[in-house]
Formats: sequence, structure tokens, C-alpha cells
Amino acid sequence: MPSEITMPQLSDTMTEGTLVKWKKKEGDKVASGEEIAEVETDKATMPMEAFDAGTLAVMAIAEGGKVPVGGLVGVIALAGEKVDEVKKKYAGGGTAKPQEAKTPVIEKVADQQSYVVASHGEIHETGADMHNASRGTEQEVAAATAVVDAPVVHHGNGGGRVFVSPLARRIAEDKKIDLGQLKGTGPGGRIVQKDVLAYTPADNGGAKVAAAQPLAAPMTSGQKTVIAMTKMRVAIATALQRSKQNVPHFYESIDIDVEDLSKLRERLNAKLEKEKVRLSIADFISKGVAAALLRHPVLNSRFDASKNEVTQYGDVNLGLAVSIPDGLIVPVLRGVQGMGLKEIRQRSVDLYDRARAQRLKREEQSEATFTISSLGSFGIREFSAIINPPEVGILAVGAAEKRAVVRGDAIVARTMMTVTLSCDHRVVDGATAADFLKTLKEILEEPAMLLV
Amino acid sequence: MAVMQFKEALRAAMTEEMERDENVFLMGEEVAEYNGAYKVSEGMLKQFGPKRVIDTPISEAAFSGLGVGAACMGLRPIIEYMSWSFTWVCIDQLVNNAANIRYMSGGQYKCPVVFRGGNGIAHQLGATHSHRMESVYARIPGLIVVAPSTPGDAKGLLKASIRCDDPVIFLESEKMLGEKGEVPEDKDFTLPIGVANVERAGADVTVISYGRPLQRVVRPAVEALVNDHGIDVELIDLRTLRPLDLETLVASIKKTNRCVIVDEDWGYCGMGAGILFKLQKPCFDYLDAPIEYVHSDEIPVPFNHYLEEAMMPSVDRIVSAVKEVCYR
Repeated sequence: MPSEITMPQLSDTMTEGTLVKWKKKEGDKVASGEEIAEVETDKATMPMEAFDAGTLAVMAIAEGGKVPVGGLVGVIALAGEKVDEVKKKYAGGGTAKPQEAKTPVIEKVADQQSYVVASHGEIHETGADMHNASRGTEQEVAAATAVVDAPVVHHGNGGGRVFVSPLARRIAEDKKIDLGQLKGTGPGGRIVQKDVLAYTPADNGGAKVAAAQPLAAPMTSGQKTVIAMTKMRVAIATALQRSKQNVPHFYESIDIDVEDLSKLRERLNAKLEKEKVRLSIADFISKGVAAALLRHPVLNSRFDASKNEVTQYGDVNLGLAVSIPDGLIVPVLRGVQGMGLKEIRQRSVDLYDRARAQRLKREEQSEATFTISSLGSFGIREFSAIINPPEVGILAVGAAEKRAVVRGDAIVARTMMTVTLSCDHRVVDGATAADFLKTLKEILEEPAMLLV
Repeated sequence: MAVMQFKEALRAAMTEEMERDENVFLMGEEVAEYNGAYKVSEGMLKQFGPKRVIDTPISEAAFSGLGVGAACMGLRPIIEYMSWSFTWVCIDQLVNNAANIRYMSGGQYKCPVVFRGGNGIAHQLGATHSHRMESVYARIPGLIVVAPSTPGDAKGLLKASIRCDDPVIFLESEKMLGEKGEVPEDKDFTLPIGVANVERAGADVTVISYGRPLQRVVRPAVEALVNDHGIDVELIDLRTLRPLDLETLVASIKKTNRCVIVDEDWGYCGMGAGILFKLQKPCFDYLDAPIEYVHSDEIPVPFNHYLEEAMMPSVDRIVSAVKEVCYR
């Protein structure tokens, strides 16, 4: 049987790929694992490799053509097969069927879910997003759930066999989780403990969780449920208790007028539309915080209490708190001081996506010099956050919302945002924190200051 | 507690036991007049005299056999080897005679003898003098194999070995003799044979090792894993290689679901391979990743310093293995 080359699913959200460039010509010999083409997904351009060795007999797609996931890209004639015959056989289009694309419904619900889940998402637009999500949910969930429950096709697991660690298999049995619903993150796609523990039905597109929340069975009177804390929960509990007990926190809040910034954002987004980049207010805050930190390096530091040493950094490595089911992860965006808004956007989104999929590398979660936590997407006006030692500061960002403010002697409606800085008083004093906030306010109220 | 060198702790153990029991005596090459090839027995000839601290000719087979016979007749010999690598020439005395005499005599004879000396790779001694003999002896029913990793453990385990009624293979390292540590001075301090030490409790992965690599690479690797990689390692020092404290190991792996074994043996049929065999069945359903075994490269031990270092487990190799089983 000739080996059909089909469009692989190279990311969770990918439904189709563009064949950017063929690296081989019809009739070329191909080795197993050899790159035969470049494929562009919704996120990146990646090499596409041949599974089998043989001769490239059919190139089903011209360069620049789009193919749905699972659709035929080409055919390799294996040893002993005649190239001409294979070519003839596939002249009519071949047998490979595109894998049924995920219904847009799931994608949409999943996207909304991610907005809600991301604590650092589109602050400005969240009200509308959440509204859409809840409006969409009721009638769409039935359809979404039906798709979710359909048999799952496994890729890269060798003939459909699911590889799973003995421990993960046992936990899945205990929890009655169908292993077919899981995606393994171990070597060769092996399902391991953390995949089973991290599993919620939402992994299949977020639809189930969105649906389940309002339907969650209420506890009946007299009923008790004891829930063992997950390892992540225990780690969070330990770290935060240690911080709140050992670090003398103090808090300062400031209101920032982001009306002009919001308008600037709209203008920039209109220009960036063809690049499919959509900046969020969060990106401006990251940029502004990085600039403010460089001017107030006391806050861009890590404190070693055992040595009474504070290390200040020339790089701003921003921890960006992301909430995930039953916990939170703080991926670190490195070197923010050297990034433009577009790069901040793209790198942040990549980090959020992988944080929620729990696929961050260890080094992507360490060595932050300052952290930003945002609950703006939940409509929270202001809150205070617990410092993540050895960092000495964390900025809690509230929602950007229209408020009645006094300008001169008039009351006007302006888009306002309140941020609260928590500082470690062993390292940072009140006036230093206030100076930092003043700088941040100046930058965000007049974003052109970023050019200065 | 006193701070002592490893060799001083060994000497204290032997001295205390010889003071306590007149049947205990020390025999080996250079142990008496020269005060020990590595000065472990320094001053013992002066304290106990030539009847109880005895220099032997260079014939491991002869004085090992003498030790087995003396033990069978009621004495408690301590036989010192300059290197365990030399026991290839007297292995018959240990494996056939010492290990089997109690069984073959139907319990009429017991064989309370301790064979001790430097084991393993001890820096530029070349291929023939760098053998790691633990897997050779730990597989023999009838023998007990002990491998301390600190001066305190060395004293407690050597005293327990001297008091033990079965033949004990006691594995030291020339490179450890100068290491210092806290040692209990209590003359009745012993450590139980067959009990492993959970040196650091942890939740994420069980690291198992013993003897010299613990101080050389395993403890620094664990420190790096905990501090730099955020991996909560449970570190177990086996202390005794036979009988293996399987209970402690299995309980730990059931908790952490991951295991890395580190030793300086060769991998194939190595000590760690034997431990792995004992673990895989009771732990199978609890493992989230295959057990990793970090061992020396399977080549003759090079004389060249850099090559010798390169063939042995390193901090980096241990860190990578631990990260691999933790999927990090």
C-alpha cells in the first residue's frame, strides 16, 4: 500500500494547514523522517516529515494551497511499488478523507472560555465577550457535547494504541476517566499522571465545563464532601502562606485614566488587522510596567533574606499570573524591556496557551523579576495580590471601565483603571512604590511616553 | 557527637568492639607495623599488641581463608583488604566458604567475620584496581553487604557488622577516608543492618544510592534539583545492599511514583540493575515513568583523570535523569 501523507494536526486549534513549500519533487526518493514540505498552521510554519521511505509519487496540493487536517497532501510509493501506478490510482483524488473539522461552535466556546480563564486577557472587551459566551452557551452546548463525546482519533500513538504509564492507567480507572479522552504529554505521547490529574471534560474544547458550571449538582442538606488537595493546590498553599507570613506586605493603589490608551489601541489594532494581531490593554500594561521598572530598579529585583542581598536586574522578566482549573500558573515573559507591543502580544498568548495546556517548560516559569496579576476580565475593580518571593513586588490590575471623574470643574466619563502595587517593605519603601506608580500612570495616560 | 574523619570513625568502631569483646581481632596487609595502608588502623597495634592486630603476607586467599576458619572456631575476625579489587584472587573463600558454611554444616558453624576495605573507583588506580564489587557479592545468599556513606554511618554499621553472626562484606572507599562528619561517641551506638535511611523526605521522585557516589555527586545533584529546578526529591541511602530494605524503597516510590537509582557500577547486571529488578513488580502500578538507572559507562575504568571522571555518574547526568522521570 502506498503511504498517504495527510495534513497533521500540529496544534490544538489547527483545523487546516497551508502547504507553503515543497522540499521534494515528484519522483524524488524520500527517507523516513526526511522533511518533505513546510506547512503553515495558525501559529507557526513547521516542517512536515515523511513517515515512510520511498518515492514521492503524488503531490496532491500545489504550493500555497490549503488542506484541512487529515486531508491528502501527497503519496509516497513504497519499495516495490510502481510510481506510475500509484500516480494513476490517485489521479482521481485518492482515498484520504479530511478529518471532520471541529465545529466552529466548539472553537468559539473554547475561545470565550479562554478569555474568562485568562486573568490577563482582553480587559477592555471582556464584558462583551462574557456576554457572548453565556448567550452562546445554552443552545450550542448540546451540539458541542455531542462532538466531544464522539470517538477520538489518536495521532502519533502507533496504530491507535494509547501509551499510558501504569500509574496514570490506575488513576484513570479509579476516577473512571476514559483514557481515549486524554492527550499524553510524555515521550511519544505517553499519558502520564499529570495528564490524568489535569483532565477535566473541558480539555475537549471547554464546552463541557461551560455547560457543567450552571448544572453542577448542588450539595444536598446534610451532605459532606471531603476533597483531597491536589499537589498543585498544596504547592500554592505552601508558597502563599510562606509569603504572607514572612514578607511584610504593604499596598498602594492608583487610578489611571486609560481613555487615550484605549483609543490608541483601537487605532493600532486597525492597522495590525491584516497581520491578525490584536493588542490588549494588558500588553500596554506589560510594556508600561517594564518601562517603569527600568526607571525604578528597586522593584525589578529579587531578595535573598538569608544573605540580606537584593539582586537588581537589567532585564525585566514579567511573571504573568494565569488561572487554570483549580490553581494558577505564572509563566514568565523574559526581556520585556526590549519588546514591542506586537511581540509582547504574541509571546504572551503563546505562554497563556501553553500554561493552560500545562506545557510550559520549567525555565518558562522561573526567574521572574516582577509579577502582574489581573482580574480585570472578571470585572473586579481593584484587589491586592500576594507577592511571589523572592520578587519584591506584584501589580494587581483591575478592570478598565467607564467611570465618572472630575476634570476641572466638570464631571466627565473616562475609561479608568485601578492598579494596586504590593511591595515587600524589607526592600521597598512607601515613597519608592509611589514613585513607581506615578511613572506607570504617566506612561499609561500618555503612551507616547514609551517613545521617550 | 564528635566530628571525625571516615577513617577515624572506622578505627573507633574497631577499637570499641575490640575493647568490648576479646574475640575480635584485625588482620590484613600492613595493618599493624605500618599503621594501615590508609592509616585506618593507626595506633591499634600499640593498643592491642601483635596477637590482635596482625600483619599478613601478600596473599588475600590465605588470610581470607584464615579469617573464615577463625570465625568458624569462635573468633570474630576483621579482615582488611587494601582494595576490594584484590578479592578476585580470594573470591572462593568469600563466596564458597564464608557464605555457605552455616548452610552446608546444617547450622553447626556460624561465620562471624567482617571483610572490609576500599571499593570502587578511587581516582587513577586504573582498570584492574577500580572494580566495584558490590554487585558481585550482593547477589550471594549467605553474605551481608554493607556500604556506608558518612563517618557516622561507618561507625554504626561497622560495629553492627562486627557483632553480626554472619559474614559481612563491608565496602568503603579510599576517597571517603578523609571525609569528615558527626559521629556518635556512645560505645553502644550501632545502626541496624538491612535498614535504609531516608536521608531527605520529598514528594516528587525517589533517588536511591549508596556509598561513595552519595557524597561525590548525588547529594549535590539533589541540592540542585531542589533549589534550582523545584523538584522535591526523596533521597534514600541504602546503607545495606544485602539484605535490601525493599519495604522502605517501595513505600517511597508508591508515594513519589518515580525513581532514579544512582551508583558507580556498570549498568548491565550492575547493583542498580539488581535493585531495579526487585522494585519493578511491587511498584509497577505506581510508576508514572520507567525507573532510571544512572551508572558508569560500560568500559574498563580509564587511568586518565578526565576519562575516569567522564565515565562516572555526574551531577548533570543525575539531574537529567530525574528531570526525565518527572517529565520536566
